[in-house]
Amino acid sequence: MSLTATAAAIRAEMVKTIRIYFSYPVIVVFWAIFPVLWVLPFLFQGKALVGSYDSAAFERLTGSGNYMAFILIGAMVSNFVFSGLWGVGNSLREETYWGTMEYIIASPTHPLVVLIGKTLAEAAVTTCIVALQATIISLLPFGISFTVAKVLPVLLLVALLMVGFYGFAIAFAGFTLLIKEAHGWVHTLEWVFFLFSPIRYPVQVNIITEFVSKLIPLTWALVAIRAIILLNQRDVGLWNIVGILLAMDAALLVGGYFTFVALERKTRRDGTVGMH
Amino acid sequence: MKEELTPALEVQSVVKNFRRGRGLKRKITRAVDGATLTLPRGELFGLLGPNGAGKTTLVRCIATLLIPDAGTIKVLGHDAFKDSLYCRQRIGLLTSGERTLYWKLSARDNLNFFAALYGLTGKARDRRIDYLIELLGLKEVERDRLERYSSGMKQKVSLARAILHDPELILLDEPSLGLDPQFARFIRQFIKDELNRKQGKTILLTTHYMDEADELCRRIAFINKGRIVNVKTPEQYKRDIPHTEVLEIRLQGQPDAAPLQALPGVERVASDFKDGVTTLKVVAPRAEAVLSEAIEHLRKGGRILGIDIKQPTLEDVFLYVTGTSLGADTAEHKPVAE
Repeated sequence: MSLTATAAAIRAEMVKTIRIYFSYPVIVVFWAIFPVLWVLPFLFQGKALVGSYDSAAFERLTGSGNYMAFILIGAMVSNFVFSGLWGVGNSLREETYWGTMEYIIASPTHPLVVLIGKTLAEAAVTTCIVALQATIISLLPFGISFTVAKVLPVLLLVALLMVGFYGFAIAFAGFTLLIKEAHGWVHTLEWVFFLFSPIRYPVQVNIITEFVSKLIPLTWALVAIRAIILLNQRDVGLWNIVGILLAMDAALLVGGYFTFVALERKTRRDGTVGMH
Repeated sequence: MKEELTPALEVQSVVKNFRRGRGLKRKITRAVDGATLTLPRGELFGLLGPNGAGKTTLVRCIATLLIPDAGTIKVLGHDAFKDSLYCRQRIGLLTSGERTLYWKLSARDNLNFFAALYGLTGKARDRRIDYLIELLGLKEVERDRLERYSSGMKQKVSLARAILHDPELILLDEPSLGLDPQFARFIRQFIKDELNRKQGKTILLTTHYMDEADELCRRIAFINKGRIVNVKTPEQYKRDIPHTEVLEIRLQGQPDAAPLQALPGVERVASDFKDGVTTLKVVAPRAEAVLSEAIEHLRKGGRILGIDIKQPTLEDVFLYVTGTSLGADTAEHKPVAE
């Protein structure tokens, strides 16, 4: 396939994914509102425990006592990551449900090209949803404000974060082809990330979580994003973090590619490509 | 070899095993057992066998959806696995079952998507889709979501997808399965008149409908328990048992048919049990000669509902050659040692 034909296949996959996505409009409402509603009980729980929306103990660990803003930023970024992981990782599983997977595999287009189309479509939809969430949150009195000077480095960090996670999601898509299951794995992974990266709490509270969190790109991105948005810090070691994320992205993309190719071949050998 | 002389499809000694279960419960079943076929260009070839005979597995191997354990497959002289992109571009595939398309999209959107996977873009794609929508009578519903289509209409879209990229070799796996007679007739005519006669496409058609194979195919391969038993024209098959008759006995329950095989003159016996009724087919040179003894054996087994003596059809030839009725389910037929 030529580059033009590959680009056309990616575009066709994006159009298809977005058309099918919007044929169930309630999903958009769910992803836009649910993550915001979901964190509110934790905030109220925090207020009940601490007595206010500000905590001196929290400030000692993170530099800011505003744990509400800390959690909301974590919720937004993790929502970006998890919906991508879910969308891309589960996408080939959906194709097997629809009975279309075999026709994708039987075509001269590599299934990874289709997966790239799905990834870009997922990224576009998720970006719109998170932008909507960010707008809602910035209008509410949570102490979070977005300016162009803050948003640009944050966008760079989120983009780098997503590249790595999509590499991971591509490997995950290969696993779902093999194991025919996605829900349990996605939820398990979500809880692993919740535990070992500072989405809801500062990982410094525990030496093990602090150590493991350094292996997860989400940790590096969250630390920098919070420093920019919450602490208004200009010098956050942005380029060091960009370098770390780039290295992690390269490892995850290469690992994701080879894992997917190996698992796709195994399913063709086992005769389970179209099964679900 | 000159390109026009290269066969459209060469299948050589293909073996495909399926492994199921783990540890001590691990079982290996041989679904395709040394299949060999050659289809010259332009032939409409039938692969006929009961459910579970290995037809679909063989088609999936040819379509590169399954990697065989042994053997080679060549499409227009190119190895299907070493040169898979070349081969996939030249194969059109239609599998049985309604759920092979995006039901939330229209026929045109479905075809647009699959066209892109085959490198068709821009005006060439639009012209091709317009032509196929017109040809298959989908014009009025082309913008409706497929979830509103009947099974027959969905199969028309599947057929359009199979030929969207103008492939040289078309694999049709049970194309009329589950369709009402009107759509089944349309699909059969389209395959024979439009695709084979008019467009000269090479077609491999799998079916367990004898009439379909007889009506459409120039040559037919019998496949049973993963093995290709014979390849002949329908006329040759029928000539193979010219002096044979088929005694068909229908009776309630499931009688033991084994003693019938031992009767003098009986060549084959096949039994098919469905909805509480067993249909026994006894192949013999003169059915009348074995009739009374057969009834004597079966009387204790259940009430006899009907007896008929028939001239052999292609279905009976299949029974004669393989010892298996086409109505039988032969899946999980051949466990092999690991």
